[in-house]
Amino acid sequence: MNLYRPELKRFRFLRWFDFRSWRLGMLAYILNRVTAIGLVVYLYLHLAVLFLLAQGPSGWDPFIQIARTPWFLMLDVILLAGLLIHGLNGLRVALTGFGYGVRSQKPLFIALMIFAAIVLAVGVFKMFMG
Amino acid sequence: MSLQVTLKILRSRPHQEQRYDTFDVTVPDAANVLDAIEQAWAHHDRDLMFRHACHHASCGTCAVRINGREKLPCIAPVKDYDGGEIKIEPLRNFPIVGDLVVDVAPFFQNQEASDFIITRPTENELDGKAIAHTQGLDPESAPTVPFNRFENCVECGICLSACPTMSADYKFFGPAGLAAIKRQLDKTTDANEREKLLHLADDEHGVWRCHSAWECTEACPQSVFPAESIMALRKEINAQRFKKFFRL
Repeated sequence: MNLYRPELKRFRFLRWFDFRSWRLGMLAYILNRVTAIGLVVYLYLHLAVLFLLAQGPSGWDPFIQIARTPWFLMLDVILLAGLLIHGLNGLRVALTGFGYGVRSQKPLFIALMIFAAIVLAVGVFKMFMG
Repeated sequence: MSLQVTLKILRSRPHQEQRYDTFDVTVPDAANVLDAIEQAWAHHDRDLMFRHACHHASCGTCAVRINGREKLPCIAPVKDYDGGEIKIEPLRNFPIVGDLVVDVAPFFQNQEASDFIITRPTENELDGKAIAHTQGLDPESAPTVPFNRFENCVECGICLSACPTMSADYKFFGPAGLAAIKRQLDKTTDANEREKLLHLADDEHGVWRCHSAWECTEACPQSVFPAESIMALRKEINAQRFKKFFRL
């Protein structure tokens, strides 16, 4: 598909993923959108899971058994990563959006992502070893 | 010394299927990509549409995408792409007229909306230093000879092409237009004029539509920093709202 055809307006968002243009700011931009979509999907999944509570222990207890499996915990790791990336990058966007740290947006992103990685590592350790 | 390069150029005409044409050209090793495009036009295909004027990055006319990134081909050395095919496409987010030529009218319309003029007010100093200190100028005459300096922006449209928001919202005022508003704002102390300019920027398709990808600033060949202007405008607008809210 050629994305430069002006008539293909409905596919314009695909240009976000044209990796030839990716620089750090663009990577942060794409990460924020991907994690945002993931968090919205999670929200609905969360509501669906909570609905199991209405079915009493017969519905809830089997789910808890599944939730404690390593494969399910991996989903928690992805969720935590999404929350950290989106939240911390959001902080950067808010700060620069109000005119603070504008010239430092790249180092700010790197520093926040290092912080996110550290928190994620601690979270993974707690989840699997705690 | 000369270089053999292969140009892969996106060809398009209204109501025709787009395609890529490849051209093998030979250019001097000091040549820029624009020289290679001219070779392709001169020796292979006289129908090739491209735009250029100054050949030294002061007009911004020739802007295209080289291997996916917005560049001025007049200052992009061919040897930087040594050994590989050079893919050349028109700027994004503009209507294509043909091949590498896009319709830049929307860009200039937004510039005009803020009454942007291309020169700064008459100056007596250069970047904070008295022009008498500038090498080659007569110190005696310098203080009496103020000058008009061109703005850094060469109006190439690269920032609009690089902007991902522009891809999703064609009504977005765009980095260059918003940077022009900021420059006009810096030039005036007139309250009514400032109010008018901030009102222009304070719009759904104005500063608030920018989602901070910073591509405009990264791609700008003239270090205009349009993203910083957008953030500075937001700060001004927020300060204005704050003052209004608390009746300061």
